[in-house]
Amino acid sequence: MSDIALSPSTLPPSALPTSAVPALQFIDVRKTYPGQAQPALRDLTLIVPRGSRTGIIGRSGAGKSTLVRLISGLETPDAGQLLIAGQDAGQLSSKARRERQSHTGLVFQHFNLLAQRTALGNVTLPLELLGVPRERREARARELLAQVGLGDFAGRYPAQLSGGQKQRVGIARALATDPDLLLADEATSALDPETSAGILELLTQLQRERDLTLVIVTHQMEVVRAATTHVAVLDAGQLVESGETRALLGHPGHEVTRALLDAHRPEVQLAPGEVLRHVNLKDLSSQTLAALAGLGARIVLAEAHPQGVDTWLALPEAQAGLLAALNLQAVGA
Amino acid sequence: MSWAEIWPLLWQATLETFQMVLPAALMAEVLGLALGVLLTLTRPGGLLANRPVNRVLDAIVNIGRSLPFIILLVLLIPFTRLITGTSIGSTAATVPLTIAAIPFVARLVDGALYSVPGGVIEAARAMGASTGQIVSKVLLPEARPALIQSFTVMLVNLIGYSAMAGAIGGGGLGDLAIRYGHQRFETDVMIATVLVLLLLVQGVQWLGDWAASRADHR
Ligand SMILES: Nc1ncnc2c1ncn2[C@@H]1O[C@H](COP(=O)(O)OP(=O)(O)OP(=O)(O)O)[C@@H](O)[C@H]1O
Ligand SMILES: [Mg+2]
Repeated sequence: MSDIALSPSTLPPSALPTSAVPALQFIDVRKTYPGQAQPALRDLTLIVPRGSRTGIIGRSGAGKSTLVRLISGLETPDAGQLLIAGQDAGQLSSKARRERQSHTGLVFQHFNLLAQRTALGNVTLPLELLGVPRERREARARELLAQVGLGDFAGRYPAQLSGGQKQRVGIARALATDPDLLLADEATSALDPETSAGILELLTQLQRERDLTLVIVTHQMEVVRAATTHVAVLDAGQLVESGETRALLGHPGHEVTRALLDAHRPEVQLAPGEVLRHVNLKDLSSQTLAALAGLGARIVLAEAHPQGVDTWLALPEAQAGLLAALNLQAVGA
Repeated sequence: MSWAEIWPLLWQATLETFQMVLPAALMAEVLGLALGVLLTLTRPGGLLANRPVNRVLDAIVNIGRSLPFIILLVLLIPFTRLITGTSIGSTAATVPLTIAAIPFVARLVDGALYSVPGGVIEAARAMGASTGQIVSKVLLPEARPALIQSFTVMLVNLIGYSAMAGAIGGGGLGDLAIRYGHQRFETDVMIATVLVLLLLVQGVQWLGDWAASRADHR
């Protein structure tokens, strides 16, 4: 371990650890797949605070899954360091790596359940690999299935479950070994919006109850907004910005972030001289509404969620620049 | 010939066929499974990816499968004698049958294991499973229906091969058909033998299909 690389001054201030040892620390990490000219990740320096729900967002090919594969030990960095709970993941013996892996939960986009095992059998698998006796692992699996709302489905095979139910089994399986770190790579991308919301809620709830560090990979800003406390934006293998979700979405500092925010911009008719702006407000109290009215803003779309109110404003072009001030005021109000 | 005469002949020949085919099938399944697993693991991108080893195994399997059984039978006579102490009889016939079936099984097993989705293997790897655990707890169980099918195909093939093995004194149904039906123009025996063979193959296939579909939860 290099002391210099670890010194806090080299880390982005918005991502400073909340406790002494962060859950994850990427230090100048580079990863190039064999036969590829461009690295999938380069010079990645990022801290994932312990106990956070951190979103990793970026366009297709940005390197999000590569980041997850590094954390889950499916790949190792070519250069730089990845510290997991302070331990250099690149320096682990294969036994220590497997030990580490058995305490990292992974949830997949396409569930990756074993088709020839029941829900119960899927959840017991990680424990079976660790040599936990049958009775104990089945008791634990039943408990977990009940926690994800599938208490009555233990004997069903994946083919007999809906997409959302399969993902719940996937989550129960990821939690079987009582991990401190849970990784979800596009865990809701294969599901309809309502089912997705349920899965995100479950992940958030489990993260709180179990004091997990949750890493959620997604290409959808709604997911980041609905379920994360922190967010890192990747583009073309590089970190473009990171910080607390509310602050970062309120003041996107980078064009890529803005583009991702605009990805679900509403279809609206703007009057001549009006521009559309997207802001995340703490609330829509009479104070906030009055402030908005003072700017001549029209609320086009507002959606409330745990992180605040997600608002689309049609603003007079001349006032668009004042938004930052308003947003600060509104968030602080 | 009367039925009273044909019946004991048929019974005896059927037993001999089983005596040749069953031990050969079991041994070939064990060895072919091992070879098939090695083929899958050493593939490029596999868990134990190793191109040279994979090439060599692949070549052995291909040669084994392209060699006509009747030639293998003759080529293996010294080897058979070495192992069983004789080169005639059903015990002796088991040796070439086993050898012929191994590459056949290996290829089918390789195909069956290859069809296990990569995501499932990745999930197991991410749980910290060792290669041995991935084979025993993921690859083989997930491919079970296809493995049962491949065992069935192998059995049917061995029943066919066993008729040829009869030519070196292995006995069995094929031998009976040739000795009586063909050489002595006993058409009744010929027809009865063919019927028994047909029933045997149908029965094995039906049983295999049933077992495979029962084992499949997809
Ligand atoms: N196994 C691999 N071999 C070679 N190149 C790969 C491999 N996996 C990913 N890549 C490349 O690495 C880059 C990053 O891929 P990655 O899967 O991490 O992106 P992503 O952000 O997860 O994208 P998506 O949103 O489409 O899932 C891409 O250019 C991709 O083509
Ligand atoms: Mg991806």
